Amino acid sequence: MPAYPGTTLDELRHFVGEVKLVAALAEDQEQVDKFLELREAGSAIEYIVYEDKRGLNTYDAPGLLSWEELHDKGETNLKADPQLRERIVNRVTPDDPAIFLHSSGTTGKPKGIVLSHRNVIAAVRNAYSGGAFNYGEEVLAYLPMAWVGDFALTVAAAIAFRFTVNVPERQETVLRDMREIAPSLYLAAPRSWDNLLTSIQVGIENSTPLKKWLYHFFTDRAIAWERRKLDGQTGSHLEWLGRLLGERIIFGPVKDLYGLSRLKSAFTGGEAIGEDTFVFYRALGIKLRQLYGQTENAAFNAIQAADEVKLHTVGRALPGVQVKVTGTGEILLKAESVFRGYFNNPMATEEALKDGWLHTGDAGYLEDDGHLVVLGRVSEVVHTKRGERYVPNYIENRLKFSPYIKDAAVFGAGRDELTAIVCIDLEAAGHWAETNAVPYVSYADLSQRAEMAGLLRDAFHRVNKALPESLKLHRFVSLHKEFDPDDGEITRTRKLRRAVVEERYASVIAALYDGSKEIHVKAAVTYESGEVGLVERTLVIREV
Amino acid sequence: MFYPLAGVRHQSYLSDSKLFPVPTDRNLLIVLTIAGIGAPFLLSSLYLNSYLQPWLIWTALALGLNLATGWAGQLHLGYAATMAVGAYAAVHAARFGIPWEFALLIGGLAASLIGSLFAFAALRVKGLYLAIVTLAMQFIMDWVLNHSPVISGGSHASLQSPRFALLGQEIASGRGLYYVALGWCALVTVFMMNLQRTALGRALVAVREKDYAAAILGVNSFYYKLIAFSTSSFIGGIGGALLVATFFFLAAPEQFGVNVSIQVLAMIIVGGLGSIIGTYFGVALILLMPGIANEILANAAALFRLPLGNETLAHIPTAVYGALIVIFLLVEPLGLGKLYANIRDYFLVWPFDQFKK
Repeated sequence: MPAYPGTTLDELRHFVGEVKLVAALAEDQEQVDKFLELREAGSAIEYIVYEDKRGLNTYDAPGLLSWEELHDKGETNLKADPQLRERIVNRVTPDDPAIFLHSSGTTGKPKGIVLSHRNVIAAVRNAYSGGAFNYGEEVLAYLPMAWVGDFALTVAAAIAFRFTVNVPERQETVLRDMREIAPSLYLAAPRSWDNLLTSIQVGIENSTPLKKWLYHFFTDRAIAWERRKLDGQTGSHLEWLGRLLGERIIFGPVKDLYGLSRLKSAFTGGEAIGEDTFVFYRALGIKLRQLYGQTENAAFNAIQAADEVKLHTVGRALPGVQVKVTGTGEILLKAESVFRGYFNNPMATEEALKDGWLHTGDAGYLEDDGHLVVLGRVSEVVHTKRGERYVPNYIENRLKFSPYIKDAAVFGAGRDELTAIVCIDLEAAGHWAETNAVPYVSYADLSQRAEMAGLLRDAFHRVNKALPESLKLHRFVSLHKEFDPDDGEITRTRKLRRAVVEERYASVIAALYDGSKEIHVKAAVTYESGEVGLVERTLVIREV
Repeated sequence: MFYPLAGVRHQSYLSDSKLFPVPTDRNLLIVLTIAGIGAPFLLSSLYLNSYLQPWLIWTALALGLNLATGWAGQLHLGYAATMAVGAYAAVHAARFGIPWEFALLIGGLAASLIGSLFAFAALRVKGLYLAIVTLAMQFIMDWVLNHSPVISGGSHASLQSPRFALLGQEIASGRGLYYVALGWCALVTVFMMNLQRTALGRALVAVREKDYAAAILGVNSFYYKLIAFSTSSFIGGIGGALLVATFFFLAAPEQFGVNVSIQVLAMIIVGGLGSIIGTYFGVALILLMPGIANEILANAAALFRLPLGNETLAHIPTAVYGALIVIFLLVEPLGLGKLYANIRDYFLVWPFDQFKK
């Protein structure tokens, strides 16, 4: 049962309450402390195994072991009893649990999900026959362990298809390690791809005029070509030549610097990806593909084919996965990789599994050629006062395609018009402010600057262009802080917890609709130490 | 752009310290080696034996001085003296009937011995004082050569070098002599490249940076300075012997005067102290530039019918050559080697900027 490193004690307590934990594997002192606190609170964790012994010298809690000690113990036991290995291996059957994960908890408490060996092996087999990867891929194990994508790829697929799994030295060295390792298979959330794109663009902006000019010369043309390819057109011979030259002069070196040059399969999953980001990587020569899956069926449902990409679909269902869409527009799945039910939660199980079909809770439809389109969560489909149907998440994602918007929350259920709260992206916006001589002292300060509002307004205009008249966004507030998983506003996988946001910022939302020009807010901030602080700020309400 | 590094990784310290961490550097060297081997088939004997061959011999010599001055940081103004010892010892040995392989070795060992003897005395002082003491070594050697007919045959005499032969095979052709120079230069280059990644090389650098700081680290600075001098003298001795045996064909005292010492020092300073590729560039500039500048100017004068007298024609290249050295050192005081490193760095992070990334 993996947990995110930033998991709070409360969340851990919830996990521990579900099952009887025998042993806990902790990285360092910080995590060991959490378990010791849990133990004090009454949970019976017998062993705590740690990897990094820094700061743990004076600890003498019973059952505290270092990884080496555990390893030595195992070795002694194996030597003492030669049949032990075989007995342990034979004890497991295909239907025994392989991993205990949790749903991301976008709505309510995370639900426990147990995937059996059969589930995960079936999932990676389906993915393999669907062309997601091959034998012997080189992968970088950098994803959060508690995300199903990490387990499916760096454990299940790695074992079944003999991958070389490379573990980065530290969190801070991931970028450098990425270059050393140059993976052939890489799965990342759209956010990571966005960050990488931002990093490349910032690097180029800081470069010399000649290199900047060369970069834009080749990249702009390649992007334009990719866009036309998405529309079903082809390029001319001249463009083909430009592509070839660009690969030598710009694309190749850029890919090399970021360790993307050996990439054969690149995936994005979890959320929708921005068109700009998507097209950029295709232009760079990276066959970025969308992947659709959820924890309940071990991450692999549908992928796009490398050469047959439509931006709005997630590709065809994998071999071995049956898909159908109900009358209400919910996507149903049937596959060997689908789990047996939520842990100790028969009610939720009954809702999710009917006649062997997994009710994903995702709204979507199948296109004529078998491509699956995912719109958002069924539970998230809401109506405006005039009865217009929309998925807030869909609009939010489109807002987030702007590099300056890190998070967004769209409101309008039961109201006349749509409004939004956005959080700026400090890295991109900060860099923009530096290059355009906009002074600021902090995140909160920058978020309220008029220059920033201009940038945000552009993003809103672009999104509005693609929306029907009745669903256009009318007003927005740029929030003085980012949404933070520690404050419960988003999940650890950075999905919005709408109920929390609506409750916490009720006054802001009210102000968005009552015609006020600004709103004074007091917000509670949870610091990493667990203390709660109070931040006061006046936020400006801006018209789009 | 030319230096792909993705996927280059090391799983042990041993592999991390290998000769070519960047594959492109290795490929470049392979290409250059092939070019070096193929040169006799592509170039006329004029270019081969009047440009390439001396360039290689002097590069090997300059690398030897760079070991003492660039790596160990000991200013050496008497390098030509060690060359002289090597040259005369080898020529005398060869005239005595000893095969050239051993004669060269005797030359190197003799130079190493004399160099070490001087170093014993000289290394009691540091910096400028050391420079003066090594200069004294140069003058003593000049005096000895001019006043010992047994060694040099007298003050204005020259000593004929016997026909050069290796492994019993006489080498007289231009190509053959070129390959001998190429082989020796390659050997010294490989030695110097590997020196950088050994404990000895690191100790030398530690001594260069601050000898008492090195002593605190447990590096016996006197011992390593001595090693630097004796190794440098050994390379200088064999280089001097090869210069006589394959290029001058006779040994004379004025070939090893103080001006030669200064010239070799200029080569490594212009090229870059402690830089191998820089040494190649530095030697090329100091040794070949006057000739090339002369040729270009003469051709230009003929082409554009410039009314220049012979006197002017002879002096302009010297002025250009001097100006070039000044310009290069103004642009990059660390030498041509650093200039090359800058260009390499530029392409290493292409298309990003090397100072920001």
